[in-house]
Amino acid sequence: MATVIAMPKLGMTMQEGTVVEWPPTVGDVVEKGRTVVVIESEKTQVDIEATDTGVLRHVYVEAGVTVPCGSLLGAITASMHEPFDAEAFRLEHDRPMRVATSSPGTRAQAPRESDVAVETRAARGGAAPVTPAARALARSLGIDVGGVAGTGPGGRVTREDVEAFASRRERLVEVAAGVSLEVLREGSGAAVLLLPGFGVGVASFAPQVQALAEAGAFEAIGLHPRGVGASDAPAGDVYDVATGADDAAALAATLGGPVHVVGASLGAAIALEMALRFPDRVRSLTLITPFVDVTPRLRAVADAWRALAREASTDTLSRALLPWLFSQRVLGDDRTRERMRRGLAIALSVATPDALDRWAAGLSAWSGSRSADLVKVAVPTLVIAAGADLLTPRGEALGKAIPGATVRVLESVGHAAATEAAAPVCEALLEHLRSS
Amino acid sequence: MSEQHGESREPREIPTAFAIAEALRIAMASDPNVILMGEDVAGGGRRPEGTEEIGGIMSVTRGLVTQFPNQVLDTPISEMGILGTAVGAAVTGLRPVVELMFIDFLGTCLDPLLNQASKFRYMFGGKARIPLTVRTVTGAGMQAAAQHSQSLYWMTAGIPGLKTVIPSNAADAKGLLLAAIRCDDPVIFCEPKGILFLSTDVPEGDYEVPIGKAKVVRAGSDVSLVGMGATVGMALQAAAELERDGISAEVLDLRSLAPLDEDAILATLARTGRLVVVDEATPRCGIASDVAALCVDKGFDMLNAPVRRVTAAMCPVPFTRVLEEAYMPSSARIVEAVRGLL
Repeated sequence: MATVIAMPKLGMTMQEGTVVEWPPTVGDVVEKGRTVVVIESEKTQVDIEATDTGVLRHVYVEAGVTVPCGSLLGAITASMHEPFDAEAFRLEHDRPMRVATSSPGTRAQAPRESDVAVETRAARGGAAPVTPAARALARSLGIDVGGVAGTGPGGRVTREDVEAFASRRERLVEVAAGVSLEVLREGSGAAVLLLPGFGVGVASFAPQVQALAEAGAFEAIGLHPRGVGASDAPAGDVYDVATGADDAAALAATLGGPVHVVGASLGAAIALEMALRFPDRVRSLTLITPFVDVTPRLRAVADAWRALAREASTDTLSRALLPWLFSQRVLGDDRTRERMRRGLAIALSVATPDALDRWAAGLSAWSGSRSADLVKVAVPTLVIAAGADLLTPRGEALGKAIPGATVRVLESVGHAAATEAAAPVCEALLEHLRSS
Repeated sequence: MSEQHGESREPREIPTAFAIAEALRIAMASDPNVILMGEDVAGGGRRPEGTEEIGGIMSVTRGLVTQFPNQVLDTPISEMGILGTAVGAAVTGLRPVVELMFIDFLGTCLDPLLNQASKFRYMFGGKARIPLTVRTVTGAGMQAAAQHSQSLYWMTAGIPGLKTVIPSNAADAKGLLLAAIRCDDPVIFCEPKGILFLSTDVPEGDYEVPIGKAKVVRAGSDVSLVGMGATVGMALQAAAELERDGISAEVLDLRSLAPLDEDAILATLARTGRLVVVDEATPRCGIASDVAALCVDKGFDMLNAPVRRVTAAMCPVPFTRVLEEAYMPSSARIVEAVRGLL
């Protein structure tokens, strides 16, 4: 029995890697847990450990060569005497993933979906088991079943998997050529666009979504920005705040008539940008813990956030962020703290480390660019600032700089005001929406 | 005598064996052409008072000869003779019900069924009718050993011109037997050992369960368990166990093996997309394989998992209890099969 050494897939966006070095040469003894090959991906070198003790029997990919994830790199056998057919082994175990090609406007080839396809194909060992029911449903819905992740026994794609894929696809709205974003809707009535903050999903607006739906006159429309949730994650180093506003405005244009726009933190920056650039698409503006300048502390917290997102679990990340996002009142009560932390972990789970990097870069570039433009905001505006906000402490001043804006300051509330002070935020929001 | 329950107005649970006797009594009372023949079906019933009647191998017909002295006939121990006589009686106007002690004895009387009863209506252009019912005990579970425990209904179900039915409970047994007796075609009526002495609520009076109609005995959404005879109970037990894990199993009781209710099988498959068929018979050339083939042939696009067959082992039925239990399908094996599909 030979052991496979394959190009690993180390992240959502990793599609290929380069062999840097084989520390042992063919015939050398390798011990389980020791480095057998060094690979490089996205400018990072990673030591790949042997999963079995034996001899390095065959090298398929020499140093310096770049191959797709899943490609067979080498083989370990118990000894050099063990029978081993290198070509037969390659045929059986070489499973290069399909590398995505970006082709604007074709959803099936957008990077994110290809990632899913690639992972599932690999999990299925090349031959994709798809149940007849899944295949038939996919055919009737015009879905390429190769792109559907399988959750059945042995990675089999079931009818339920195709249904889930279809419902995700239904939630996607194309906002730019080749870029579709995930939109979550609840309730019916006047459209209220909800733009979540840095690194969190629409789940961070859970109390507001419920309040809007229950009010009976509003449709809450949560938008996952690029790289978050099922939204596409176009390649690039920076996701600009202006692009975020373009995306939101494009979504608003599909909803017919101007919409109420609600943003928190980064979402407030995007909402503000949208109100300045597309005032005819904004019926009212609600900015929750907004900012126009990134403070050194916000930048430092975002740095730590990005690093932890790569290196730690979502659970750990939520614990680390909790003191920055919530007031002492929350931190001081065990049950409330744990409840808030769990909610935070759910909201955090939808953002990838790459998306955090790109949005952080976009925020840095945007910082300070709109300080002088607040006076130009020409739509009915509500600003909700938090008295104990460590990350964006100048919300109240920002509100006062917007002509005619209603400013509410929630005393002793942290940056995540929409969650921590759900009731007063909902109340102020509904009042503002009804009067706009 | 216990048979008096037939006149009772109280709601009652009675064993399948009593429900069968009730059907025979109703059939013979409502039609003097209905006759009952077999080895010991009267069984000494004409002896002087006080002598216990035998009433067939399972005592199902005990007491009937007293009530219908001209319609219940003991026969010599010759299955070929019984079936040959019955086919002749049927084609000349009677409506015979014969008892073939065990379906294992089919080999001794196959020709009247295979080449006569099943062919006459076809070969005489519909002018001959064979209103024959063959009652026969099937299945394992009583340590009756290899020659008295088989589930050979797949053989009769495979012969065009014969109908084969198998109830899973006392109420269906009564209604199916009445339908079989009144059917103008030969019907093999299976009496599974596993249900003969199990009691269920049985309606009063005369009613028929239509031949060729399966029945959903438990509704579910995740997986369909298709059973027949004694395996329906196993499927229901498995469904109850699966429910504790949040798996919703639908149970379909085939009731008729020939004709097979294809629509009902495809309908349950359409609802769940997953199907496990449970058969007490051996796996080759059987009803389970038939159902699986139907799903693949006519239900392919509905399949959301492989069709699984839970059947007896491909070997003679063992005599010892431990081996017999290992040989037979069980609720545990059904649960295991379902878990492999989800």
